[in-house]
Amino acid sequence: MVSNTYAIVVENLTVKYGEEVALEDISFKLEHPSFLTIIGPNGSGKTTLLKSVLGLIKPEKGSIKVFNMDVLKDATKARHMVGYVPQRERISTNVPIRVADIVLMGRLARYGPLTVPSKYDVEKVREALELVGMVDFWDKRFSSLSGGQQQRVLIARALAVEPKMLLLDEPFSAVDIPTQREILNLLYNLRLQKNITVVLVTHDVNPVVECSDKIMILNKKLIAYGKPDDVIKDDILLKAYGVAVKIIAHEGICYVLSGDTHA
Amino acid sequence: MPNILDILLSPFMIRALIAVVLIAFVASTAGSFTVYRGLTFLVAGVAHAALAGAALAILLDMYGIIPGFPEILGAAVFAIITALIAGYVGRKGESERMEVAIGVSFALTMSIAILLISMIKEYAVRAWGLIMGDILLLTEKDLLLLAITTLIVVFTTLLFYKEFVFVSFDMEGATAYGVRAELYHYIMLLLIALSVVVVLKGVGAILVYAMIVVPAAAANQFSKNTTSVMIWSFFIALFGGLVGLIVAALYVNVAPSAIAGLIVTVFYFIALIFSRR
Repeated sequence: MVSNTYAIVVENLTVKYGEEVALEDISFKLEHPSFLTIIGPNGSGKTTLLKSVLGLIKPEKGSIKVFNMDVLKDATKARHMVGYVPQRERISTNVPIRVADIVLMGRLARYGPLTVPSKYDVEKVREALELVGMVDFWDKRFSSLSGGQQQRVLIARALAVEPKMLLLDEPFSAVDIPTQREILNLLYNLRLQKNITVVLVTHDVNPVVECSDKIMILNKKLIAYGKPDDVIKDDILLKAYGVAVKIIAHEGICYVLSGDTHA
Repeated sequence: MPNILDILLSPFMIRALIAVVLIAFVASTAGSFTVYRGLTFLVAGVAHAALAGAALAILLDMYGIIPGFPEILGAAVFAIITALIAGYVGRKGESERMEVAIGVSFALTMSIAILLISMIKEYAVRAWGLIMGDILLLTEKDLLLLAITTLIVVFTTLLFYKEFVFVSFDMEGATAYGVRAELYHYIMLLLIALSVVVVLKGVGAILVYAMIVVPAAAANQFSKNTTSVMIWSFFIALFGGLVGLIVAALYVNVAPSAIAGLIVTVFYFIALIFSRR
């Protein structure tokens, strides 16, 4: 079935907050697996689009399918396909919680109250932490980690649910440039080697261009969507941002860390 | 001077001892989630709302509008309404917005409380009893209510422990991973409100903050995980309460809840100084 190869299919999506239009008549299809970067100015509806794909927001109009499942009608099944990494700023550091327990959290959430983790769950947690290079921090308190380390742990939490798609909201905010690159490479390799579709929202497209299969430029409406070369054009960026924006693609940022690239 | 053991074994003291143990359970469960959610102000807000509710109940009883209207019911209704309003404002997980809502309802309910207390002058002492609280004056009925509520709070917290932790840590993420975050958010707030109401009579509207929030806040300074916070806050609250009762047994005129409040705050400051965070 052809439709199975799409990670996301959005048709005529309009989202309103009260009277204010957040997203207007958005339609696009995203093949699986692929790496999609969503950019746009502040308040352009980037996060709203992510939340809509997660089924957290009820749209005014239109439909969203994730792996051919309606995100509202088949909410539970659709969410099981997705690992979500929220903005780190929205996470409380008041809770004294170990790295391993955070990664376990996402898996256990699916089982409902009063469940204890099985050996298999713990194994998946270990695998996820190994993938992001944080397994040595198993017992550490989350709030004692650096911003980049916290981001990796949150990515591990998303990976531990064995998703087919990762959704990340501003994964590079408040982390230094070397850490940005490390996280980007991690995501790039997940898409390449694990066949996971990666969708990320960012206000800084510079480092991401090369890694992306598709770029979406959003400003309440879909300004442009396609391959980086077709989308990153001065006139399109001007239309989205209202001012001239220069995109400088860093050469050689996206590289394969190890292993078979033809997975 | 009477034998301290005789005093400690007298019925009012035994009731107070049981109350201290129950309050310690509430402090370790409802208290720790209050601290995780950054909602310590809710405890103060709810306590003062409860005061207004109790004053209204006394007024309704006094003027014969609803004779025998129980204070605790009036207190619970006001406390729950306040918690739900604050919860509605912060239903997406924004604690900062909740703080403002709690502040406003604090001003409103405190004005209502003072207005009502001024209208019930002859009975104002009943309302003042709730502001100051007296753990030595608890009746068997009060104790039973405290016991039942503690049981509900502890049982619910253990039942939804994992969900409460997830929602406290990351409400948006919890929803995305399939947790009914908003529901657990409201359950948590209701538990906090109920805890405040039943602890109120024992320790008073002002010191309820000391007994519910401070032990968990102190434990959270040095604990590595949530279980450790629960255990430590239980013992800090228990220790504070016991010392308070012993001092009150030795020196009759001393309010036990005030001593308990002092002890737990000392714990907090020690924890603050020695925590490595």
